[in-house]
Amino acid sequence: MKREIPLLITFIAGFLIVVALFIPHPPFNKIEETFNSWYIIVAGFTFILGIDSLILHNWEKIRRRSEGWPFALTVILSFFITLIWGIVSGVRTGHIFSTNSTFRNYFYLYIYVPLQATMFAILSFFIASAAYRAFRARTLNATLLLLTASIVMLGRVPLGNVALIPVISIAVLMLLWVLVDELKYVTSPTQRLIYIGIAVVAVVAAFPITKFLYHNLSPVTDWIMNVPQMAAKRGLFIGLALGGIAVSLRIILGIEQSYMS
Amino acid sequence: MNTFEKLAQIDRRIIYLILFIVVAIPFLFKVQISMKPTSDVVEAYEFIDSIPEGSAVIISIDYDASSMPELQPMLEAILRHLFSRNIRVLLMSQWALGLPLGQEAIEQVAEEYDKKYGVDYVVLGYRPGLQAVIINMGRDLPATFDNVDYKNRPLKDMPVMEGIKNYGNIAVIIGLEAGSVGDLWAQFANSRYGVKLILGATAVVAPDLYPYKQAGQVVAILGGLRAAADYETLVKHKGAATYGMASQAFVHFLIIAFIILGNIGYLASRRKRRS
Repeated sequence: MKREIPLLITFIAGFLIVVALFIPHPPFNKIEETFNSWYIIVAGFTFILGIDSLILHNWEKIRRRSEGWPFALTVILSFFITLIWGIVSGVRTGHIFSTNSTFRNYFYLYIYVPLQATMFAILSFFIASAAYRAFRARTLNATLLLLTASIVMLGRVPLGNVALIPVISIAVLMLLWVLVDELKYVTSPTQRLIYIGIAVVAVVAAFPITKFLYHNLSPVTDWIMNVPQMAAKRGLFIGLALGGIAVSLRIILGIEQSYMS
Repeated sequence: MNTFEKLAQIDRRIIYLILFIVVAIPFLFKVQISMKPTSDVVEAYEFIDSIPEGSAVIISIDYDASSMPELQPMLEAILRHLFSRNIRVLLMSQWALGLPLGQEAIEQVAEEYDKKYGVDYVVLGYRPGLQAVIINMGRDLPATFDNVDYKNRPLKDMPVMEGIKNYGNIAVIIGLEAGSVGDLWAQFANSRYGVKLILGATAVVAPDLYPYKQAGQVVAILGGLRAAADYETLVKHKGAATYGMASQAFVHFLIIAFIILGNIGYLASRRKRRS
């Protein structure tokens, strides 16, 4: 019975919610509303689970003097300082985020916000460094990714079309450099001809491409985002949705039971 | 190691330092670059412009401090537009720690336009439950927030809530997104109740929302700092986003320069290896 009753509850709840979507009339719409209200209450309680997990995990680290235990101590102290400050401030002003709340005016605005913003801002340094190291034209796919990313990056900022001129010029020079280099190792006359052809096309096409992008960088960026990007994203979304439906059905029908373990 | 090869191995601390300088200088000198607002932003602006005076809109703060540089200026610019047109604003949050940022902005902008709490705007607060909250708001909006505002004051006593029962009385929901709540607004609020949506998002999140725009479920998507700066241009009030755009533009140029240098170094070292 320990397994059967939760499975039955899951089945009834899941089934009724699905029915309510297709028949949004009494009594199903009321049932869905009630279930949603329960869900909101249960979701509130998940915070308690989170706190429980945070405290126990870090307390265990401190107790065992595991590596980095002072950080765990900092977490627990910060948690209780925040909690107590928040409660005191909330009781005194009616709400922790009231305009005259010291929790909001000192803790939230001058400690929490700058700390979190700083943590996130650090990412920009890693992204710049990672882009420098990872965006190498090692293969054709990598080169295409590199070119597309560069166009979108320039297309998303003002003056991007102006910066495009030196970028394309350097890219063409680099391509010529690679082709000339490759020619030294190519023995087949056909292959040599192809390489020379690519070089000539690159030089001839560079000017019109630059001119076109200079005037149409924004629409080209929009096209990249709205067509190839969106096609990949839609495929991903459809896959995710189908996967979600399959897992939901397995849970409702009691085939998938791992959530109970 | 020759000069070209050295280009492939620039110390990361040098990259960090150059990046810091490139970000800081335009900010310090308040460098401004003129821009033509993008079509998406113009669409959002024109839609809000077409809302009749006295209508009510919901703004959902679905971000926190980490995404504040992109979304806070966007929020402020949108609020300026709404208040200048005497549109009622119902502020809520799906992120527990996002609400105070919304409060901060709305209090500041309301003061500029002489708007009163409870009359012209209200802060509904935060409720956990994401899609459950969105669905229930479509049936009974005040009841989803227990018929009180964030400080437990009854909503029925506030003129701003007059005639508001559910999404049928809301002109548009404006969601400012740093995560996946935007998907939920489109999937539940728009699909089930047909309410109009404008989604503002960080540049990273915006591409995830484009399918909803193409499907007609979202009126417009405001993506990243650029959209915030464009909105500031349209409401004729330059702020943090406009000043931040110069930094962002220069950083993009810098990253592309680094990518080019890295590739020159890579090609040079490949040539050496082969020879």
